[in-house]
Amino acid sequence: MDVLELEHVSFAYPGGQQALEDISLQIRQGEFLVVCGQSGCGKTTLLKMLKPELTPHGQRQGVIRFAGQPLEALPPRVSAGEIGFVGQNPNTQTLTHKVWHELAFGLESLGCPSDVMRRQVAETASFFGMQTWFRREVKELSGGQKQLLQLASVLVMRPRVLILDEPTAQLGPIAASEFLASVYKLNRELGLTVILTEHRLEEVFPMADRVLMLDHGRKLLLEAPAEAGRRLRSTAPDHPMLAALPSAVRIYQELDTADVCPLTVKEGKEFLSRHFLPYGEPEAPAQSITDERPVILEAKEAWFRYQRDLPDVLRGVSLQVRQGEIFAILGGNGSGKTTLLHLLAGPREPYRGKVLVEGQKTRSFAKGSLYRRRLALLPQDPQTVFLKKTVREDLREITRLMGTPESELEAMAEKLGIHGLLDRHPYDLSGGEQQKAALAKVLLLQPRILLLDEPTKGIDPGAKEQLARILLELQQEGLTTVLVTHDVEFAALSASRCALFFDGEVVSQDAPAAFFAQNHFYTTAASRMARHLYPQAVTCHQVSQLCRSHPKKREEATA
Amino acid sequence: MDTFASYHPAALLGYFMAVLLPAMFSANPALHLLVLLGGLAFWALLVPGRTFAGDLAFYTLLSLMIAVTNPLFSHNGVTPLFFLNGNPVTLEAVWYGVDMAVMLVAVLYWCKCFHRVMSDDKLLFLLAGTASSLSLLISSAIRFVPELKERIARVHQAQKAMGLYSSGSYVDRLLGGLRVFSAVLSWSLECAVETGQAMKGRGYGLKGRSHYALFRLRPRDGWFAAVTLCMAAAVVTVMARGALTHDFYPKMTGLSAAPEALLGYAAYGVLAALPFLLEAAGRCRWHLLLRRCARQDTGGEPGKDGVRWTY
Repeated sequence: MDVLELEHVSFAYPGGQQALEDISLQIRQGEFLVVCGQSGCGKTTLLKMLKPELTPHGQRQGVIRFAGQPLEALPPRVSAGEIGFVGQNPNTQTLTHKVWHELAFGLESLGCPSDVMRRQVAETASFFGMQTWFRREVKELSGGQKQLLQLASVLVMRPRVLILDEPTAQLGPIAASEFLASVYKLNRELGLTVILTEHRLEEVFPMADRVLMLDHGRKLLLEAPAEAGRRLRSTAPDHPMLAALPSAVRIYQELDTADVCPLTVKEGKEFLSRHFLPYGEPEAPAQSITDERPVILEAKEAWFRYQRDLPDVLRGVSLQVRQGEIFAILGGNGSGKTTLLHLLAGPREPYRGKVLVEGQKTRSFAKGSLYRRRLALLPQDPQTVFLKKTVREDLREITRLMGTPESELEAMAEKLGIHGLLDRHPYDLSGGEQQKAALAKVLLLQPRILLLDEPTKGIDPGAKEQLARILLELQQEGLTTVLVTHDVEFAALSASRCALFFDGEVVSQDAPAAFFAQNHFYTTAASRMARHLYPQAVTCHQVSQLCRSHPKKREEATA
Repeated sequence: MDTFASYHPAALLGYFMAVLLPAMFSANPALHLLVLLGGLAFWALLVPGRTFAGDLAFYTLLSLMIAVTNPLFSHNGVTPLFFLNGNPVTLEAVWYGVDMAVMLVAVLYWCKCFHRVMSDDKLLFLLAGTASSLSLLISSAIRFVPELKERIARVHQAQKAMGLYSSGSYVDRLLGGLRVFSAVLSWSLECAVETGQAMKGRGYGLKGRSHYALFRLRPRDGWFAAVTLCMAAAVVTVMARGALTHDFYPKMTGLSAAPEALLGYAAYGVLAALPFLLEAAGRCRWHLLLRRCARQDTGGEPGKDGVRWTY
């Protein structure tokens, strides 16, 4: 039975901008549908059209039916209760200040009698294991808990369809996996219909029954995941979404085999073993790289805590960043990475040990001179960087401050590919665009050292690759970059040295190949997949190259 | 251990009104003294001894000031004690000052107790019964303010790390602060649009909104309410019959010791001491339970399992 039906649906925003064109789709009861595509491909618009309360203003054509009934004719009570929607940012979706009230909100709106409400809230909270934080304040929860609360407070109304719009964009990888696992559990155990968009397809791809790929508002593909993985390359060989697919699919696509497309690391591992021969020493050769370049940024036995009575966040961190490298500090959420970055950038100081920028203590710089042509920090939320009405005004503020000509601004915009965005409001940009515009603003300060805090948070894979490319270009120009991230794939792509930050200390540092090859869990999916054959390969590209040069003979492969 | 605070919010609100209103609407120093003692005793159980002592010192000072100030400015009364700058300082005015100080401090203490006992959950629960949209508004406001503060701090830090708006001059800092504030405001509005959508998405605005009962009426709430009601009714009746009337001016009337008045005092004493009694009884019971458990488990050695009971 079809829960949702779309017949030749098109949508245009009031300005005439066409967001969706001729989408036809039937979504079965209990189906797990993943909608993917680049930023701005119309996937969020599509999802919002399925929930009448959120449908944007504009011109719609075609028919959308929910359980056989056109959406327009749906009573508001039904559409509020039976079509559940969870958006991207848990903070803006939270409506009340207590967990229990958040859970009860939907049922209160529907006017549920007290005992029914009590029962539904109780069982939902139990299902999600919320009993220990049921009476807590929402602001005390972690990001993952907040998003789980959003999910639960939609589910408490017992919807028939669950729509999720990039629900993990603001979460760390661990919280994101937990969240997605909960969604998958709902789909499997309750037969709940799920429609989900995601940037990180690594995990949701194998969960999906079907994948809908959009391209500029049009339906590009609607297939089972394995089939979608196989077909995308043949229909659109240079499509940017290729980069977004799970590592197993990407490696499969680059190799010419007549086999089923693997989706998970496990399947990918079997796939590689079936078709390719091992190469390379199983143990990474222990090599000490002697780096001659001068140390430009250094922490010596730095200890830090926020208040006298609070525990240490940094426990004797020592690290040296050399000129011209891209130094990636990896670590879980809440491990103190951001604190470390703030220490390196100067706003905070260690209570023991020291931080040296170009051999000088951060405190000893005259006011503001640390941030002129020396060091710049790009914070986690690019939104916090903008204060003006257009990107251009924001950038002009810096050129004026630095006394550089306007042409500098244009050149920077050209370099980062944001020329078309200069006259837009910063808040109207997508996550990736915001990140680039913020980067432009910070780079106009002409720093020699650039510090980045979670630069890949909430941006799509295409934008991520672009960012990596920009960083590598800047490296060529002599810029030193320090970035903290939990995005292993991004670090593998861009860093020249990686360090693992854990328990207030830098535990290990190495070149990416050696770093990830030695890690067993904390490494890229490609490395986990291929380590039994090619211990040194870290990125998908490296794996597929090695595979191509070491194929098994055809009879061996079939044997 | 919150025995008293665990009663139903409606019962608690009723209690606080029952105990405070008679004291506030009468000029009877005995009632004021009783309510002060009740409040003090309860507060002593709610906070650690050091805090209590600090508070007490502060309020003693405050009440002394009030008691001294009144006779300096009010010259009513018929019994002059001495003359100050040609103005009489009367016995009645002194006593009236003392009484006022006692009542004021009592009210302040009860307000502290009220604040401690009635968490925002309880207040919003009570409000939701009568004005659900107001209750919701307050609930989101409670969320909004700290969020706004945090956003301002984040934007400020980001700007500082770019070397903007952090020069020493006050004008620059003020302008920078304003700029940050206006940016944060438009950011917050942006977020508020999303919040509004989420509200609509979860059916806000449909007719016939109900509210979740976080608190349920239990038998003990009934008992508590009944005792409160009986005592309050007794006090009010006695007051209405004029047995507790007391005047300071022009001459103090003296407190009546008629059986009816004594009954009123007794009832009010019980009422004022109720939180203290309930709380103390709760703790005693907890103590006894613990001791019994300890005897059964470890042969009389409490806390042998490494668990430290605190309340």
